[in-house]
Amino acid sequence: MTALYSLQGVTKKYGPNTVLNDVSFEIGENEVVGLLGDNGAGKSTLVKIMSGVVQADAGEFTWGGSTIDRMSRETTERLGVETIFQDSALVPFMTITRNIFMGREITNRLGFMKMKQMDAITADVLDSVVTIEGIKSPKQLVASLSGGQAQAVAIARAVHFKRSLLILDEPTSALAVRATEALLAYLTQLKSEGVSSVLVTHNLHHAYQVCDRHIVMNHGRKILDVRREDTSVEELTAAVVEGAEGIRRYREGRH
Amino acid sequence: MATEAITTQRRISDARQSSGLFGRVRHELQFVRGRGALEISVVLIVLLAGYTIAGLVSPEGFAFLNPNNLSGVVSQAVPVLAILGLAAGILMIAGEFDLSLGANITLSAIVFIKTAEGAGLWAAIAAAIVCGMVVALVNGLIVVYTRIPSFIATLGMSFFWMGAGIFLNGTTPATLTSSRDDLMVFLFAQDFGFFRSQLVWLLIIGVLAWFFVHRHRLGNHLFAVGGNPAAAEAISINPKRVKLMSFAIFGGLVGFASILIAVRTSSMQPGGSATEDFTLFAIAAAVVGGTSLMGGRGSVTGIVVGAALIELIRNGLLLAKAPGFYITLFVGVTIVIAAIFNKLMEGKAR
Repeated sequence: MTALYSLQGVTKKYGPNTVLNDVSFEIGENEVVGLLGDNGAGKSTLVKIMSGVVQADAGEFTWGGSTIDRMSRETTERLGVETIFQDSALVPFMTITRNIFMGREITNRLGFMKMKQMDAITADVLDSVVTIEGIKSPKQLVASLSGGQAQAVAIARAVHFKRSLLILDEPTSALAVRATEALLAYLTQLKSEGVSSVLVTHNLHHAYQVCDRHIVMNHGRKILDVRREDTSVEELTAAVVEGAEGIRRYREGRH
Repeated sequence: MATEAITTQRRISDARQSSGLFGRVRHELQFVRGRGALEISVVLIVLLAGYTIAGLVSPEGFAFLNPNNLSGVVSQAVPVLAILGLAAGILMIAGEFDLSLGANITLSAIVFIKTAEGAGLWAAIAAAIVCGMVVALVNGLIVVYTRIPSFIATLGMSFFWMGAGIFLNGTTPATLTSSRDDLMVFLFAQDFGFFRSQLVWLLIIGVLAWFFVHRHRLGNHLFAVGGNPAAAEAISINPKRVKLMSFAIFGGLVGFASILIAVRTSSMQPGGSATEDFTLFAIAAAVVGGTSLMGGRGSVTGIVVGAALIELIRNGLLLAKAPGFYITLFVGVTIVIAAIFNKLMEGKAR
């Protein structure tokens, strides 16, 4: 499998704290990668670095085999990385249409938006891309949607703009059970449409259900990077809860 | 899953194709409700109807319909407050305040007067607008780069800008004399009988502001940054740039309003408190018009209607010969009620 996005030796310090210590991994094309770890493991910082919002102190980044010279949000935007941050992907008091086209508005040459065209596309996107129940109009405010609906709108946006890598930061934490199932099924579907995704979560069952590969972080280090076939929920649990020690004990216990 | 998709599709297309004018209006209203402008317009119409009836019943006791009164309120007081309200409102949508608005008016008006006396009208117009923008941009840079709450930063800066006015002109008032010619008056303070130049400016600025705020890409970014800066940034909108832009627009509008004020009154007292009321009244107009104090919500129509409502209440109290302090009292109550109302509306929209 060719690597879509690869990170080598990523290190990040905040003052005296080393939040990320020499972290390296790859995300393949058409792959769903689970990024796991307890609170404080460095997941959020890693997500921000991957999406270009925060700059790493050290580390090399390659995209499709070629080196990225300067990491910034502009660069990742151009490459097609879309991050759905927990609870904050959308603007509540804007309509669904305006949220979907936020920052990528369809305009005439003077910069005025073509509202009708954008509403029509939004209605199509809501109909076809994601199956969301209960949305009446693209002109509805996002504030009037449920957590699951809003999450789905954020994903619909990423898909509509043909992003190549979707990073979801704790997407299931605010969702009801059914919405979670739909979201997870959706990630698998995205893969077949050529979109890779990174699922950041501390819910191991959700991750195990859909991810092709699992990366476990512990105190700023990568301690596990395994394909799904080669691991189990039990091993992942041991890794997340007890760190490297947990993996060793789990593997010894099995032999 | 499949059935859900079908229901969704049917629902959305139903709404899109609702037949007849009534159906379409009802569909539109459903999504306009709770966004401020509609409710406040109803209040304004009711108040206007009440004033009209009172004016007809007692033309002497309540001289609302007197042409002088109408022209003074509708096309002099309302336009100035509405333009300032738009300035404050656009900034509030982006999630910031500028409490040095009054000081900015004083300084820009002094710059306008001095330039008009020395270098003529056109240079003076440009100077006043540029002055307003520079003042606001300095405030904006402080707020954006130090991350001090704009309330504090601009409150402090308002004293600085007041002082700058004194530095520029001493403690004597700046006065328009020979430069206040027919052209200047025609442009900014002409009384055409039932309307004045200021009303024309409000129409022009209002339409431009509406298209900018509600239909332009950058207007969309204002709402995004004010409503959820993190989401805007994640989608690669630069919140700092958008906030600085809104400070610049604010300053330009304040600079322009200072021209209207200077030409009408012909003089400006450096360090004076005459313009300070405008700061809170402008924010009040925005809030009464449905602009959120938290950012991310507001409408141009709402703000203009809000300004009209405040000036009408003020005018009604004057005509009813209420003592001066009643006026601030009533305006104060109006603002608080409007803020509570906005809060309720935000709850309803959820």
